[in-house]
Amino acid sequence: MRVTMPTIFNNIQGNLQTLAEDLQRLNTSIASGQKFQSISDSPVDVGALLGLTTEGSQTAQYERNLDTAKGWLSVTVSTMQQIEDIVRASMALANQMATSTYNAAQRQSAAQQVQGYLEEAMQIGNTEFKGQYILAGFRTDTPPFLEGDWQVQAPVLHLTPGSTGTAVSGGVYRGSTGRTYLVEIVSGGGPGVGTYRVSTDGGQNWTDPAIIPAGPASLGDGVEVTLGGTWNAGDRFSIPVYRPIKYQGDNHNIEIALGAQSRLVINETGSYAVGGGPGDPDLFQILAQLKSSLEANDTAGVGSALEKLRSYEARNTSVQASLGASLDRVNMKENIYASLKEELTRQISERGDTDLVEAVNLLKTKENAYQAALLASSKIMGLSLMDYL
Amino acid sequence: MSGITAILDNAARALSAEQLGVEVTGHNLANVNTKGYSRQSVDYVTAYPEPSPWGPLGRGVKVQGIERAFDPFITARLNDKSSLLADYQTRSAALQQVATFFNETQDGGLNDLLSQFFAAWHDLANNPTGAGERQTLLSRGLNLAEAVNSRADQLVQERLSLLQQVGPTIDEINSHSARIAELTREIVESEANGHTANDLRDQRDLEIAKLSELVGVRTYTTGDGNLSVTLPNGLPLVQGVLSWNLTYQLSPADTVELIWQGPGGINESIPAGQLTGGKLAALIQTRDELIPKYQQDLDQLARDIITAINNQHSQGVGLELFSQTTGTYRVSDPGAPLAAALPLGDQIVNGSFQLYIDRNGTPLVSGSIAIDPSLSLNDLVQSINTDPVLSGYVTASIEDNALKIAVNSPTDTFGFANDNSHALTSLGLNTFFTGDKAYTFGVNAWVLDNPDLVAAGQIDASGAHAVGDNRNALALAALEKAPAGPDGLTFAEAYERLVMNLGLDAQDAQNQEKFFQGLVDQLTQMRDAVSGVSLDEELTNLVKFQRAYQAAARLVSVADELYQTLLNLGK
Repeated sequence: MRVTMPTIFNNIQGNLQTLAEDLQRLNTSIASGQKFQSISDSPVDVGALLGLTTEGSQTAQYERNLDTAKGWLSVTVSTMQQIEDIVRASMALANQMATSTYNAAQRQSAAQQVQGYLEEAMQIGNTEFKGQYILAGFRTDTPPFLEGDWQVQAPVLHLTPGSTGTAVSGGVYRGSTGRTYLVEIVSGGGPGVGTYRVSTDGGQNWTDPAIIPAGPASLGDGVEVTLGGTWNAGDRFSIPVYRPIKYQGDNHNIEIALGAQSRLVINETGSYAVGGGPGDPDLFQILAQLKSSLEANDTAGVGSALEKLRSYEARNTSVQASLGASLDRVNMKENIYASLKEELTRQISERGDTDLVEAVNLLKTKENAYQAALLASSKIMGLSLMDYL
Repeated sequence: MSGITAILDNAARALSAEQLGVEVTGHNLANVNTKGYSRQSVDYVTAYPEPSPWGPLGRGVKVQGIERAFDPFITARLNDKSSLLADYQTRSAALQQVATFFNETQDGGLNDLLSQFFAAWHDLANNPTGAGERQTLLSRGLNLAEAVNSRADQLVQERLSLLQQVGPTIDEINSHSARIAELTREIVESEANGHTANDLRDQRDLEIAKLSELVGVRTYTTGDGNLSVTLPNGLPLVQGVLSWNLTYQLSPADTVELIWQGPGGINESIPAGQLTGGKLAALIQTRDELIPKYQQDLDQLARDIITAINNQHSQGVGLELFSQTTGTYRVSDPGAPLAAALPLGDQIVNGSFQLYIDRNGTPLVSGSIAIDPSLSLNDLVQSINTDPVLSGYVTASIEDNALKIAVNSPTDTFGFANDNSHALTSLGLNTFFTGDKAYTFGVNAWVLDNPDLVAAGQIDASGAHAVGDNRNALALAALEKAPAGPDGLTFAEAYERLVMNLGLDAQDAQNQEKFFQGLVDQLTQMRDAVSGVSLDEELTNLVKFQRAYQAAARLVSVADELYQTLLNLGK
């Protein structure tokens, strides 16, 4: 083949250009640490990388969700534990007070203690986590447990055999502290015949006996009771007055996403876990009953409250167990995501990151080639017949 | 007749012939770097011999003509491949440009924004009351919308920039055609005396080569210096000394329509598919076929995101309810069926949605509005305003051809729920995104102005709704992994496919460009092997002609000496 000037010079230019392009690409790849600079460099790899990155950020998000779940679950567990502590203390107290070795005055002061427990249980039930009430269902902006208005409760009757007495409590309480009115029939008979006396300290001090009226009898501070039937002497009943604690939240379970298809409940509704709602067992009601029984110096009532406390404790334990199981699931998922993230990072790096050793080696090779090309080109360009003519 | 005069005659012819050799060599040397130049050489033949008693006697040299070293077959192939090379070069450059808009190998790509958007829904589900989470979600929604907008805009810009190149390219084609016709006229005139017009032919070949890069052409020579250049579909650009122009206009479908302006005012439209090779075909096909494909994919993706998010979002309630709200989509005609009158009307199916009314924040009543795709906006307004329950509390009206719902009493608010008709999505009520394609993709101004309207929760059947409710946010977050759109891909997968297709198209154009570059290089070498000038060769020729000239001159002095000798005989 005839080799002509354009051929020689085009070749030199073309070869140097190709080598310079290779050098440039290697240089960018080393400097940026990324194998691909444009989607057209390797569309399939770039597509796969996109998929991996998306998965990576989803995994990171699920990890964040797990953090939230962990926060909620841990706070709920510790809340339930604190409530359990109160329940234990109340049970110990009730146990003591159910025995006959204690007197009315001691039971009065125990009642005060129970009132303290009650308030504390309510406070703990209103625990906030990051500004949200954790036991309120979806109504995280409202304290789940709220004391209602003073309520005169139904009488708790302790009748002697043969008595047909009935009592209906009523009236509006005007006092400011919870108390239990203990009423004892002094002499038997129906309205207008029998007499009764009232105590507000569990029978330590009594009012003077009064004749049972036909209408409502005032017990003091607005509390009334209407007695019917025929009473026997020694019949007793107590009317507790307290502010019942009501559940303000709803019954929704809050879920968070642990994965594409899996969700986890991260809360426990207060009415189920503690009480204040329509269902049983209701810790607040049990404690209130315990308190009134103590105020009324009613050991049988204390005993029945103790039974109910036991059943609540079982509920509390089962709630804690299910929360614990959820926490376990969170921890397990955390481990899975941690290893998944590691694997994703490895794959992304393998596909997308520059292999420095390889790249630097290649750079060195190309550099040598470029220098060789320059040398050869200058030799060829220097050759001319003119030098010899 | 032989004799000393004949020797002198012989020498004189040789001198002028060798001198011509030096001149042509000089011409070659001077044009070593001239594009399209073909090496020339003197065609020497022996002069017609003279009869002599000893047989025909040589009469020295004669110049037959000056030839150019030219291989028409290699040149034709070279033009053909240069044409394809120019096609792929243009295509590759445009696709590289488009690929940079979708460059997902760098940070801040759309893929990343999409993940961030859905992550924000998860964060909101983790803390539905959080003002920060709501604000983050809105700004991520905006980022996503803007990123989609800007890509749509860049695609439009790229089409525009390709269109801007079409006009100048056609002008160039026309001027090359005209120049070829002009050169043909000159060649025919100057070759009338029987000698080839080498340099003019070189120039014409160069013009043809340049024309081939702009548009694929075929050439036919007729031997007498005439030449026809035609487009691949047979329409002539040059016929002998005449040339015809191309022009273009935009068709109603916004595609480039190429028009051939033939003799006698004939205009003939050339479908883009009939062009093969050349920059013009690449410009038109990239503008009207390739880029619209990506635009369509991007629009589809945007539409899928808008409808999927809005279908779910419109089921929920925010921390606050509406005292009034207006749809973001306008109907073309309030009397026409919604399915046809709304941009996303195809989403509407038979069904209903519910309106819950709160008074002073407490659930009051609720009502259900039945939806049918054939309902018009007027019908819908009437149906709400005559609803036995709702009409007492809310009033619907048409504002700017969009549906507006407002409460009658300032103490009331309302929320939506259980829309299984997708009417809310299509009307743009209680939605998160606005728009119906990539260019119009945006975030609803209602939620932007009041982040508390981001619907993370849902209304219970009782009408109750609570701030800690994250059901709707969870459902929205789950859309990230849910198949959407006609092909059942997730949004991220659909976008990956778009990017991958684009990358493959760009890579393919690049590979083809490299392949044809190799072919063109190869053919150029072959052409240069025939037509190119080699300096060493010319220098050798120079010395050769110089020596021959010296020898011829020597012949003159020998003849002179012969004369001297002869003249001295008489002394």
